[in-house]
Amino acid sequence: MSRKPVVRASSLESERRASFYLFIAPWIFGFLFLQVTPIVWGFVISLTNRSAFPVAVKFVGLQNYLELFRDADILQSYWVSFVYTVSNTLIAVVTGFFFALLLDRNVPGQGFFRTILYFPYMIPLVAVGWIFRLFLERDTGFLNVVLNRLGVLASGVPWLQTYPMGSILMLSFWQAGWSMIIFLGALSTVPRELYEVATIDGANYPRRVRHIMLPLISPFIFFQLVMSFIYAMQAFIQPYIMNPRPIRGNWMMRNPPPNEIFFVMSRSYFVMTGQNRYAYALAILWVLFAFVLIFTIVFVRLGGFWVYTEAGERR
Amino acid sequence: MPLRISTRERMSATFRFVVLVLCIVVFFLPLVSMVVTSLKRMDELYRIPPRVFPEQPVWENYKLAWTMVNFGKYLVNSIVLTLMYGLPAIMGSCLAGYGFSRFPVRESKPIFLLVLATLMIPFMVTIMPFYMIMSKLGFVNQRILWFIWGIPGIPFIIFLFRQFFSTIPTSFEESARIDGAGRFQIFFLIMFPLVQTGIIVAAIFAFQWSWSEFLMPILFLSDEKSTLAVKIAMGYSDQKENVLYNIGMAGIVFYTLPLVILFFSLQRRFVAGLLSGGLKG
Repeated sequence: MSRKPVVRASSLESERRASFYLFIAPWIFGFLFLQVTPIVWGFVISLTNRSAFPVAVKFVGLQNYLELFRDADILQSYWVSFVYTVSNTLIAVVTGFFFALLLDRNVPGQGFFRTILYFPYMIPLVAVGWIFRLFLERDTGFLNVVLNRLGVLASGVPWLQTYPMGSILMLSFWQAGWSMIIFLGALSTVPRELYEVATIDGANYPRRVRHIMLPLISPFIFFQLVMSFIYAMQAFIQPYIMNPRPIRGNWMMRNPPPNEIFFVMSRSYFVMTGQNRYAYALAILWVLFAFVLIFTIVFVRLGGFWVYTEAGERR
Repeated sequence: MPLRISTRERMSATFRFVVLVLCIVVFFLPLVSMVVTSLKRMDELYRIPPRVFPEQPVWENYKLAWTMVNFGKYLVNSIVLTLMYGLPAIMGSCLAGYGFSRFPVRESKPIFLLVLATLMIPFMVTIMPFYMIMSKLGFVNQRILWFIWGIPGIPFIIFLFRQFFSTIPTSFEESARIDGAGRFQIFFLIMFPLVQTGIIVAAIFAFQWSWSEFLMPILFLSDEKSTLAVKIAMGYSDQKENVLYNIGMAGIVFYTLPLVILFFSLQRRFVAGLLSGGLKG
């Protein structure tokens, strides 16, 4: 590949544009064919009555959407997903931030602790679900055994059955490693001199955290809140594996969890594969998509008010 | 004054150390429960009062975890799919990150925002219709789908590569260009080897995603081509469909082991990569 000497600015610009599109071509392909097409197609199908067996498919307009908003089970699914998402986000951010604070300054075994606290995040959810299903077991689960030995609990608590949502939220604590890494990165961007100056001026530790650290890392907190919200709305497998009802053999995915933990994603999977109502499942997903989109945009807009930015810098 | 600060510093370090040790103990409980259960007999599991450690470790469980579900076959399936997804995903992310960092044109900023905006799309919203389209085209139960799914790269990793490339001075490329190297020659021979850390982070991400992904294999693949994630999620059970926790936990140990090895062998560079490149900017 030889190159002609470039003479004019405009040809330099078009040359650069050609390179740009060549390099991002794979992404554009993926965006158009793996994202835009399915989403639009999904919307079109959600306006029909298509089932798993595509016979007598006809256009029904917004009927699926109207049905959805009158369906108490579906509405509850949105609600429990929302409750789970907000709780999960808060737990992940607070726990991650707490770990990052503990690890930020010199402490013996810093690298070791960082690795170990991050580690549970590496374990796939399908495994984590089973580990906790066992861990929270009423009579023999480790949590009850330990709490019993410590004298906190006299008799075993059937965690999954009594607190199904709480049980799933325990995973959020356990898997806070990701948000810890983000916050460790964030804290490393805060100049040390600022703490020293504040200390000399007589600011104690909580005030240094409140007035120096938090404002400076607010963009990261914000990023973490948004991302964690989006991911938690997609929780799907946890209700099936941590189903309070007994699991039999290979029937896990056919066995719907109770409404109080039946998240939207889990529900739409069930509507699609268990009830074969494809169009209705897509309508459920589309409403969720719209909700995430609107919520994120509003949140990002509001975020502009409290996120600290360098003077003069527009985000 | 300095003396007082250092004493206080030391005290606070000790305090934080103690808190961290407590956290780790709590964090390890579920893992301990997993390992000891994997070594128990099933009747031992339900004994009251419960005992923490097995009377006699039953290593047989690990053998059964392997033979009961044809573990080897699903392991190979998982590895194949991970490679089929991971290689294009790393390459696609790297190419796009390079494009965004090196060839700024008027529209590159809005397009980059679009890349980040795709993070907002719930996975299921695309994968369910994609599945229907593919089954309409008769194109399900194909491993090549993982390859196709990897081509566009991963938004977060694109972002990461863009950061990495922008820390590399352009002088390398300029001199190569004067020597007559084309843009792809420059990319593959000069730039690609310079972002090793980024490649490691991308590899771990892709591996982790593909290894743990449950929805895609259960939608697209027949049991014959399915992955370990699906098998582990379904759990182990006996003839009467009773769940066998002990063998299940042994299976989970096998299933998680590759991730653990990968993570611990690369974690220093992985964490460093995330901390240095990704987060500034």
